[in-house]
Amino acid sequence: MAALEVEGLTKDYGEVLANDDVSFSVEAGEVFGYLGPNGAGKTTTIRTVMGFQSPTSGGATVLGHDVTEEDDLIAAKRRIGYLPSHPSFDEEVTGREILDLHASIKGDERRGELLESFDPPLDRKVRNYSTGNVQKLGLVLAFMHDPDLVMLDEPTGGLDPLMQRAFNEFIDAERERGLTVFLSSHILSEVRRVCDRVGILRGGRLVTTERIEDLLHRTGKFVRVRVAGEVSGDAFDVDGVHDVSCSTTTASQAGSDGSEDASDSAFPNDATDTPSVEGPVTECTFTFTGNVNDLIGRFDRHTILDLDVQEAPLEDVFMRFYGGDSDA
Amino acid sequence: MLEIARFEGRHRVRGAAAATAAFSGFALFYIFIYPAIAESMGADLDRLLEAYPEALSKAFGIQSLATMEGYLASELYTFGWMLIVGIYFAYAAASLIAADVERERMDMLLSLPVSRARVVLEQFASLAVPLVALSTVVPVMVLVGTTLVDFPIPVTDVVALHLLSIPYLTTCAGIGLVASVVFDRASLAQRAAAGVVAGLFFAESLLLGTDFGAAGAISPSRYVDPNAVLRESEYAVADGAVLVVATLALAALAVVLFRRKDLE
Repeated sequence: MAALEVEGLTKDYGEVLANDDVSFSVEAGEVFGYLGPNGAGKTTTIRTVMGFQSPTSGGATVLGHDVTEEDDLIAAKRRIGYLPSHPSFDEEVTGREILDLHASIKGDERRGELLESFDPPLDRKVRNYSTGNVQKLGLVLAFMHDPDLVMLDEPTGGLDPLMQRAFNEFIDAERERGLTVFLSSHILSEVRRVCDRVGILRGGRLVTTERIEDLLHRTGKFVRVRVAGEVSGDAFDVDGVHDVSCSTTTASQAGSDGSEDASDSAFPNDATDTPSVEGPVTECTFTFTGNVNDLIGRFDRHTILDLDVQEAPLEDVFMRFYGGDSDA
Repeated sequence: MLEIARFEGRHRVRGAAAATAAFSGFALFYIFIYPAIAESMGADLDRLLEAYPEALSKAFGIQSLATMEGYLASELYTFGWMLIVGIYFAYAAASLIAADVERERMDMLLSLPVSRARVVLEQFASLAVPLVALSTVVPVMVLVGTTLVDFPIPVTDVVALHLLSIPYLTTCAGIGLVASVVFDRASLAQRAAAGVVAGLFFAESLLLGTDFGAAGAISPSRYVDPNAVLRESEYAVADGAVLVVATLALAALAVVLFRRKDLE
């Protein structure tokens, strides 16, 4: 059974269609990243699933419970942890009192253990909390009743880098325990690190859902190669090569410093240990989504001066989906 | 059950204590100046009253100032208790839901396995703290004060008036509660609720005896009459029952509205 199943979810605020026929499911034990720039409708989906607002059409089930039926949803909420994007508490009370209130309603089996990882100053009033401490308090509240599913809206937003790392390790450990995690983010590196699968939302529509490795694989590697001699882009006509761009420079330029070569600008750590060669040098860059061995085989025909293969930056992945207007 | 009410109620203790102290001080001040007024004016007091603009004496239920009972019924209970304390409860109730929605705290509360009805009703129930504090301390102060200045009034009348005014105050709070689920901003809900309670209070008293008197029937203040209780020892229990029903109806309306509400 899917831990979370969203089916044709549409939320129309009148002036804006925040969710447009969104469907996806999150399997039990999965860490699912819900990605998109601010305003894409991520929070709308989460708030609808939590029953804070009703869908215009479509719906969702969490842990097998229909979110549009209050009694059904309440049963589900016993086993759900929730962290809003900006957790907010009564400022006049202490963190401990808030934990006690929530504990009295939903339980707090894991409170002590969680407070070792996330330790807001419990005896101070929330008024005096930093953003990070509010976030820590929210995280303890989300996990303390040992839920089966947690819904986290931009969970690392208020955390400093150190806490962010602690959070990532925490999520990894939770995954090991079998917890299902649904988290939204517009920060790709964060999602990449903890998620099994991602859904990408743009303008209220779900653009894709896939495993993060598949997404990266499909997006491919970024390859830069420098070869001796004058070579055209056709030299790398291998399955999976896209967007080849080559430029040839004279030996003297290539041997000393490639800075005058426009195509070199992307590779600042260049030329220092490049073998010096006579004659022209060609540098090509392309995206590669095929089998690396095929590519290596093709390199045999050339004298390779330098080769650099790296994973396409996630930002590029996003840009493909957002057509250049991503704020991520 | 009642975890939310207890949590909210605990944080109302200080406010309730302050309100109770303030109103008790107000009551004692009124009571302590009465002997001086009665002595200097005597029977002329009611002649003075006749010189009051009719609208004013009607608005504040001033029927007679010649006795401590009449004086308290108009000056303290009609004006102070029914109008001021009534507005206080409407105002306090108006922020119950709206403030949590406005400051995005409602999400945390509703992430708990609780129904929206329970959230509304337990928040409403937390007003029992100021209600009980005011309704127990103030009558004691009034009885002690009137005895001290040697104008004692019957204990049963004072107790009866406070008992009968409890459903009045809960009705005022009910108006605030409805405003609290209708508006997303606490300040708007508070203004609306206070305005409605004050408006109904003045409409009822000013319309009484006119052709539009029947319109005053929708005002909660129609159903509590401090003059009748203190001066005539008449206890309108049926009117109290009307207010109990009104409170339940307003609370039910607030629940229905909040269950349907989209929290954005």
